[in-house]
Amino acid sequence: MGVPAFFRWLSRKYPSIIVNCIEEKAKECNGVRIPVDTSRPNPNEVEFDNLYLDMNGIIHPCTHPEDKPAPKNEDEMMVAIFEYIDRLFNIVRPRRVLYMAIDGVAPRAKMNQQRSRRFRASKEGVELAEEKQRMREEVFQRGGYLPPEEIKERFDSNCITPGTEFMDNLAKCLRFYVADRLSNDPGWSNITVFLSDASVPGEGEHKIMDFIRRQRAQPNHDPNTHHCLCGADADLIMLGLATHEPNFTIIREEFKPNKPRPCALCGQMGHEIKDCQGLAREKQGEHDEFADTVPMSEQEFIFIRLCVLREYLERELTMASLPFPFDFERSVDDWVFMCFFVGNDFLPHLPSLEIREGAIDRLVGIYKDVVHKTGGYLTESGFVNLERVELIMQAVGVAEDNIFKKRKEDEENFKRRMKEKKKRLKAEQRPAFLPTGQFAPQALGGYGRPQSIQNARHTAYEMRMHGRDQQNKDAAQSLKATLRNGSKASSDSLDGRGVKRKAEDSDSEPEPEDNVRLWEEGWKQRYYKNKFDVDLTDDSFRKKVVKSYVEGLCWVLRYYYQGCASWKWYFPFHYAPFASDFKDIKGMFTDFETGTKPFKPLEQLMAVFPAASGNFLPPTWRALMSDPDSPIIDFYPEDFAIDLNGKKYAWQGVALLPFVDERRLRATLNEVYPDLTPEEVRRNSLGSDVVFVGKAHPLCDFIHELYRAESHQPVEIPAELCHGIQGTLNLDEEPILPDKPVESPIPTLRDIANNCAVGIKFKDPQYEDGHVFKAVILQGAKIPNKVLKPGDWERSNKPWRPQLGFNPNRQQVHLDQSALRTLGHHVKPQHGGGQYSNVPPPRGPHMSGQYSNAPPSSSYHQGNYRPPHRDHQPPYHREPAIDSGSRPLQQYGAHGWERSMQSQGAAYQQNMQRAPGGPRGYHQQQDNRRQPQGYNAGRNFPMPPPMKRYNWS
Amino acid sequence: MADGEGGDVVSEYLTQNPHLVPWIESLRGHCETNKQWHARREFILRNLDVFPNIQPGTQSPCLDRLLSLSMVWTNHVFMGCQYPQPVMEKVREMAEGICVHEAPVHKTRDELMGKIKRPHPSGGDPGSLVKKNKVGLNDVDGKGEGKCVALLKSGPPPDAPAQCQSFFNRLYKAVAWKLVSAGGFGPNLDHFEILRSCAESLKVSLNCVFVPLKDIPDLPAGRTQKEGQVCELRCQTVYMGTGYGRDDGAARAMASKEALKTFQGRKVTVKIARRRFHGRDVEDLVLTDEQPKSPVFPPALSYPFQPDSQDANLSM
Repeated sequence: MGVPAFFRWLSRKYPSIIVNCIEEKAKECNGVRIPVDTSRPNPNEVEFDNLYLDMNGIIHPCTHPEDKPAPKNEDEMMVAIFEYIDRLFNIVRPRRVLYMAIDGVAPRAKMNQQRSRRFRASKEGVELAEEKQRMREEVFQRGGYLPPEEIKERFDSNCITPGTEFMDNLAKCLRFYVADRLSNDPGWSNITVFLSDASVPGEGEHKIMDFIRRQRAQPNHDPNTHHCLCGADADLIMLGLATHEPNFTIIREEFKPNKPRPCALCGQMGHEIKDCQGLAREKQGEHDEFADTVPMSEQEFIFIRLCVLREYLERELTMASLPFPFDFERSVDDWVFMCFFVGNDFLPHLPSLEIREGAIDRLVGIYKDVVHKTGGYLTESGFVNLERVELIMQAVGVAEDNIFKKRKEDEENFKRRMKEKKKRLKAEQRPAFLPTGQFAPQALGGYGRPQSIQNARHTAYEMRMHGRDQQNKDAAQSLKATLRNGSKASSDSLDGRGVKRKAEDSDSEPEPEDNVRLWEEGWKQRYYKNKFDVDLTDDSFRKKVVKSYVEGLCWVLRYYYQGCASWKWYFPFHYAPFASDFKDIKGMFTDFETGTKPFKPLEQLMAVFPAASGNFLPPTWRALMSDPDSPIIDFYPEDFAIDLNGKKYAWQGVALLPFVDERRLRATLNEVYPDLTPEEVRRNSLGSDVVFVGKAHPLCDFIHELYRAESHQPVEIPAELCHGIQGTLNLDEEPILPDKPVESPIPTLRDIANNCAVGIKFKDPQYEDGHVFKAVILQGAKIPNKVLKPGDWERSNKPWRPQLGFNPNRQQVHLDQSALRTLGHHVKPQHGGGQYSNVPPPRGPHMSGQYSNAPPSSSYHQGNYRPPHRDHQPPYHREPAIDSGSRPLQQYGAHGWERSMQSQGAAYQQNMQRAPGGPRGYHQQQDNRRQPQGYNAGRNFPMPPPMKRYNWS
Repeated sequence: MADGEGGDVVSEYLTQNPHLVPWIESLRGHCETNKQWHARREFILRNLDVFPNIQPGTQSPCLDRLLSLSMVWTNHVFMGCQYPQPVMEKVREMAEGICVHEAPVHKTRDELMGKIKRPHPSGGDPGSLVKKNKVGLNDVDGKGEGKCVALLKSGPPPDAPAQCQSFFNRLYKAVAWKLVSAGGFGPNLDHFEILRSCAESLKVSLNCVFVPLKDIPDLPAGRTQKEGQVCELRCQTVYMGTGYGRDDGAARAMASKEALKTFQGRKVTVKIARRRFHGRDVEDLVLTDEQPKSPVFPPALSYPFQPDSQDANLSM
């Protein structure tokens, strides 16, 4: 689900689910890049079996990156994608399977969102181009310089939709890429690679889920497979939980808000396009040697450990004294289900439930209340018990009125606080009146003592006259100065005088009008009137909306647990009903229409593209998007309404786009089907997953033999050849075969002369209609060790050692004697520099070598995430500065390098705590010294071991 | 509800042709409200005779075309969608006579963006013709010029400067404060936006007249070949500035910049000055900044006064 707030909420509430990735970088020697050997053990101290890539999360940033200049052409984009996959492969180092899934044609339920995104993207693209053009001229008119416009067509990100030539080309390139790596990279030699390109229907992440679901339902599946799924969408977390696999980890880019972006016009950092001045480019480095480097750090990755999230959830959801035995797995499914209320790709979220307002906590609270009454769980293996859901909804409905009132209150408070803050900031810049003469303010601790006041009356008179004289100055003159010289002069010329407040607050932006006013009596009536254009009395219409929403909830849950129940179903409104409207929903849903078929790729393009992206379609198809006589012209508005719906920016609002009439679309397209070229017919057909293995893989000979025998019968994979993975193989028409050279589709990359890979079509294991995939932990699955601190830890007397990475028994690093000497030696000389020396201690090779093995554990919380639970944060964090003694390490915690060293220091200290009896470093020693200061006051950390246990080894 | 007279006509028609009822009801969309459906039903029934090939009860491309146009119309009326001009014109004709009560008012994306950023320089908004009671920013794009000229077709009376002066004093203040809050006059401002918002805060609008450069007479030799647009900016018939640019937007920006320069002085004064207009010398109302040297004005591009008439009817 495209709900960034969800991930933010999750990572704040459950901080331990996040583990920073350790990435081994390729080394360079004499200008030759030495690739990382990924067959070596994973530096993250964990071994993953399967890596799944939701490719759309890779394609988008690689084709139109936000934080660096865009690639010049398609070839560069492909290479960028290859490099990105390489990077992920290097971090995760899967040992069995690499599964790459590109979004294929999506279910109809997703189409509303796709349409909305593509219609917007198309307009945004045009606007950006227009603004660029306008600014370009303005800059030229002012005599500025801009680099010449590159001759390239604007990359329309809409082409990342199944059925376009771009996607077809991408599939070809990825086949080449896989063959190349299987042939040349030792880390890949035993890997089974699955490629599910855009010609296979289904969203990428759901194709992956289908694979996992169908594998774990067959008897040969290894229940202790360690899965790693790559993708940034928050719904991957839900999907991972829904598998009930005990070892499931998600890897994603670390989200850093407000990253600087280069100006789209001149490519320089530091300003936006609208402020571009066309100044000459600043030299990067002394001789411009860093010209092409991106000035900020490379995007880093984090792991999200779902087994830790499950631990958290277990604590939160476990209920005692239930009328039935508590089953944690079932309550996880219910939790996932309730998260759908708050937002998903297929339904608008309920107006009263906002993640930011703690909606999930509220739901969990209600859930625990209600489960006692309902006598059972809300869901089972993806099927919803509507009677019980109604109880939850009614409980939310009761609170709805107050939620809206509280929301308004919070908003008002926020606005007021911001206003006050602004005022305060302004006031700090310049006080309205400053007394002068002997009343002038004096700095504390300044020279001399305060003088006694003499002749106060006269001073007061002087000040008064001074002010009056000033005020009598011609207002226009100061104004003129202000206008001539900009704002800088104004503070000078207006100094010392009161400034008249502006009549209206000029910087208060106009608020978008809100006709619904959910916080006022009669909100429900206004909501239905404004959003649906119906009266509250129109019960049958309201029922229709609720019924559709109920169907939607059932569809979404089924989609996550069983796969796509209906390709046809969709939510046909732009807004959700209220929770309190969910009355008598029990009979509202029975089952979905069976036997529905997905759209063909080109049909889907017609259904989600605006007319402006028609160039991706054949001419006669394209014409249907703009011809006034077209029988489907109503699908393609040129401009459409956006309802801000209480939000501030257009992109946050609801795009009021008409829905596509599937019957009319298909009927109309039937007329133009004959116009397709053979190539387009091929692109429009449904494809198949492909599996690749290298020569060393046991399956290689088996597949090769199939090709030699030219058996066109589907063949099952022998389970023992591929870690118990099952499926059906079919010969590929244009196969990649060992010892058959593979031609490179990218001019800059070489052909593979000595190809060692073989590829064949693959089909997931099939089950009879009506098969239900059970949402349970499999037999034989070992639940991973607990990571969180047990709730009753305080009572036992041992210090708690939080686990930072994957390995609970990680080898500790420590400073040995010589290291300490070095440290002491380097730090000491700076002693005279005052008690808070800002000079960072030199990082000698010795020291950095010692430190660098530890992961930067706390860095995740440094900037943007304030951990609400501190119970396993290293105590080092936000530590008061160590008092000035004669200790050489006193800068620890003082400003300067504290920030930069924090992460390392934190890990370092962790290590020290976790090495009982081992050689000790400075830290404990200092802790002991500081004990009287109440080092750990109010926290849960036990005292460091007493002095006597510490010894220099 | 939504169907006033039209609804009566429709129900009357359907009672006369009961065989049509099941068919027409089968065309109703699942999520359509009664109000929308009644309006669309009327649209379909009224236009049945335009598509003689439609056989009630059978699917055909012809019927689909009618359905599509009916959706275009309801999407426009109830959802605020805008379609390309030929489509819009077609449905407007077809929908003539159908009245919808209390159609919802929507803000399209373009309007929303225009408000946050600036109106599009090209200005040509095909949809504006069918907008209901909505006055967009398009008025400043020079299309409103015709209207204003028609309203104020009288020469500048001798007391016009005095009458206008108090307004421009207020405008001067507004501009000054606006500039202060924008960080002072400089090249990086959106000059037009500043001027426009100040004028609008005083409840008046700016008038822009655009003329292609090559259409202007009396140009110095060598400049006549040049492409581009010239914009003249007026407010309350008083001339404020002229600018040149590659397109309307750029020209308008330059004109606004020129106008704002006038506001850099201690005060602004409205005067009657001689300018060239269509090869003749005319008296024009201009805004000046009390510089000792008398400024030379570029030739006027518009002239909102009757050259001879002395009767003034300036409404402030």
